[in-house]
Amino acid sequence: MNLKRIWSILRKDLLTGSRSTVFLFAVIMPLVLTFIFQVVFGTLFNPKPRLGIVDKGESAITASVREMEGIALTLIGDAGELKRKVEENDLDAGLVLPAGFDEAVRAGSKPLLQLYIGGESLASNRLIIAITALDQVRELEGAAAPVEVKTITLGEPGLPLSLRLVPLLVFYALVMAGVWIPAAGLVEEKEKGTLTALLVTPVRLSEVLAAKGILGFFFSVALAAATLLLNRAVGPQPLALLAVISVAAVLNCMIGLLMGVISKTAVAFFSLIKGAGIFLFAPVIFYLFPHWPQWIAKLFPLYWIIEPIWQVSVMGRPLGAVWPELAVALALSLALALLLPALSRRMKGA
Amino acid sequence: MTMPAISVKNLSYSYGKLQAVKKISFEIFPGEILGFLGPNGAGKTTTLKALIGLLKPEGGGGQILGHAIGRDDPALRTRIGVCFEEKNLYLEMSALENLNFHAALYGIRKPDSMALLQRVGLGDRAGDRVANFSKGMRQRLMISRAFINQPAVLFLDEPTGGLDPVTAAVIRRLIREEADSGAAILLTTHNMMEADQLSDRVAFINEGEIVALDSAENLKLKYGRRAVRVRLRGGDGEIREELIPLDTKEGPGRLAELASSPDLLTIHTEEATLESIFIQLTGRRLAG
Repeated sequence: MNLKRIWSILRKDLLTGSRSTVFLFAVIMPLVLTFIFQVVFGTLFNPKPRLGIVDKGESAITASVREMEGIALTLIGDAGELKRKVEENDLDAGLVLPAGFDEAVRAGSKPLLQLYIGGESLASNRLIIAITALDQVRELEGAAAPVEVKTITLGEPGLPLSLRLVPLLVFYALVMAGVWIPAAGLVEEKEKGTLTALLVTPVRLSEVLAAKGILGFFFSVALAAATLLLNRAVGPQPLALLAVISVAAVLNCMIGLLMGVISKTAVAFFSLIKGAGIFLFAPVIFYLFPHWPQWIAKLFPLYWIIEPIWQVSVMGRPLGAVWPELAVALALSLALALLLPALSRRMKGA
Repeated sequence: MTMPAISVKNLSYSYGKLQAVKKISFEIFPGEILGFLGPNGAGKTTTLKALIGLLKPEGGGGQILGHAIGRDDPALRTRIGVCFEEKNLYLEMSALENLNFHAALYGIRKPDSMALLQRVGLGDRAGDRVANFSKGMRQRLMISRAFINQPAVLFLDEPTGGLDPVTAAVIRRLIREEADSGAAILLTTHNMMEADQLSDRVAFINEGEIVALDSAENLKLKYGRRAVRVRLRGGDGEIREELIPLDTKEGPGRLAELASSPDLLTIHTEEATLESIFIQLTGRRLAG
């Protein structure tokens, strides 16, 4: 294999890809789908309550709110700026903590606490901020809560739909880039006869396949990572997740190359992707419907990449917990890689 | 003694049960153009594909520039240039980008792509996307792409097929220039005029076999019939034509007789064409 030739083909594919609707469709669609799902199920229109605090005396309330994941805190220098930001709806609410506030509360005096509420803020956010502020003051005072709150979960226990959609979105990103880009690229070269033009230069067929595969891998990893980021599903171990996504991208690229090798025309490729689509997509359905028998999902090849992504990103498991699935995914990739040379031989004289 | 650039011995190839190339043998020397002349389906393109490594010959072999035929040999491919009948260019790329990309595949660091484009008359369209090119412009670009690595051997598959006479003439001139600079050229065509004009030698290929191989002149001498066509005014004033073969016993006498006749209007020599020889040898026409 000659790396310079592989790089030349890859660069050409990037150049022609940026001018190809099929390529752009493969790259943009996963992001578009993520955006649509975010709008429908996600947090785009349901942001965290945004609280601004003017803290003149390093209050413990500020430190406590900073620790809260559910509230977006902004520290502001003076009350005038805070009021302006609340008025302009840059913040849902603003809290002014004067110097000596904590001491005054602890001493039992009743200092003035100014809470500005934005007129355009969501009612739910106002409520969260108001209750949080009162809770914090009470905690500061050291007083016991006036009531005991018992939390009762209604509905089926489990993850919200927005999280259960993550495997679907990641799957889509992986397939669109990992399968589609190498396969469509190869089929296009075959249909236009440019593959033959390449193969009469010093380029080897394996170098063409490598270039297509690397391009698919790169976009597959990038799009899957972007999808997880947009869905706030990176999890506590981003590097482990990156490793899992990379293995997933390798398997998808191998499937893509195989499809590209056996499809003589774009029509044949589309038929193949339609036929194989359900076979590839099947494991994702089991994440949407967790009460279905989950063992069935294991019968499908892409389960072995979706499951580790799910475990590491959503469930927060370490890489060590998913190594059996990754090993199966790598073994499947290797098996496909061994099949490729035999299947690609007949492409040369076509 | 000059070594042949291409030497082929008993090359065979089959598509399933159909034997497309049947034990053909030939040689091409540096600076020589060998015209591979035959109708569609005769085995010209299959032979070319087997020589450039796109098909693995099932029998026979030989060498190109000292490299064995039928192997996946990038070292050989750095020294050959191929121009297909199919216009397999990257349409989304400009002419210059197409040439530079191919140059990179040959490991050419600073290709003089602009000079090549100017040579084929595309210098002013270098930055234009190939998708906007006419058929003739694309073919000229294909030819320049085949020249990008200054190949010692060129394989040209129907390089002027379907082109207007002006573009075809430009391409023929370029091919001749390459041969004059020392390249060995295998030119497949079913255009007998082209083969006659360009080729130093011509191979007639029919149903996978080479049925004749020699210079066009020698083929005409060997297989062509010497004859003259005369036009005469008959007794009733009607003009009639007569073909007089000169290689028959009666021919020269009949010609002498007519030459002194007051009824003789014109005499034209009848020269054999490659097409007529091909028909004579195979019973088939070249076109189709």
